[in-house]
Amino acid sequence: MDFFSSMRVSASGLEAQTRRMNTISSNIANAETTRTEEGGPYKRKDAIMTATTDKESFGEILKDQLDQQVQGVLVDEIHEDTAPPRMVYNPNHPDANEEGYVAMPNVNTVEEMANMISAQRSYEANVTAMNAAKAMANKALEIGK
Amino acid sequence: MSGFDSTIQGLNTTMNLRLVNQNVISSNIANADTPGYHAKKVEFEGALRQALGADDQLQMEGDSPEHIVIRSTDPVSPAIADDMNGVESLDGNTVNRSEEMAKMAENQLLYDAAAEMLKKKLGMLKYSITEGGGNR
Repeated sequence: MDFFSSMRVSASGLEAQTRRMNTISSNIANAETTRTEEGGPYKRKDAIMTATTDKESFGEILKDQLDQQVQGVLVDEIHEDTAPPRMVYNPNHPDANEEGYVAMPNVNTVEEMANMISAQRSYEANVTAMNAAKAMANKALEIGK
Repeated sequence: MSGFDSTIQGLNTTMNLRLVNQNVISSNIANADTPGYHAKKVEFEGALRQALGADDQLQMEGDSPEHIVIRSTDPVSPAIADDMNGVESLDGNTVNRSEEMAKMAENQLLYDAAAEMLKKKLGMLKYSITEGGGNR
């Protein structure tokens, strides 16, 4: 249990939010993609997070009960949304089926934008937490000066 | 140990507890988007009271000068439990971000206050050691 434990936890939060932001960017960029390597339209992706104990802390090595409660975060998997594709009537499109419908990605741009704001705020919260830990450490170094 | 009185011991314990609190709050903030994560809370006041009052309760009977005297203020091990006041969102997460940020700001301020007081305490010691002529 030290200052670096707090900083490592915040850093894991920054990393996880960055990855989440990457999947959101990918979703927005591919909102109109009808062709993918697996075939069919692009499927919306979602970063699934999981809590993890701080592996580098000394307490973790000693299996300290206190340090097990301080958990970082990690993107466990990139989950593919199984919602059905959006069917758009466009007979002139090369990927249209016999009835003239094109299977478009199951991406809702507005939802992605809301997600993006949430990821951004979470990132900022982690930065604030890290700065707070740093300020506290600096304050402790002033003792006895 | 007369120079380092109970105030300094108390400030030391407070700072250690505030550090634990900061770590737990960081953990909550990092996991604000983790499904099923439950916000954690340090039982701060109870642990501080125990650490400060423990001297009276847990003092070992020392009838020989070779007996080891237990110093009870350090290290601290406060209880960390799931915060029962949290409201579960759809994904089972109970972290309230704004509350955590407020708690963190408060915690940082009180840590700084304790550090400042410790600094003043040590400054006074230094003042008397150097017979008032030293650099405070």
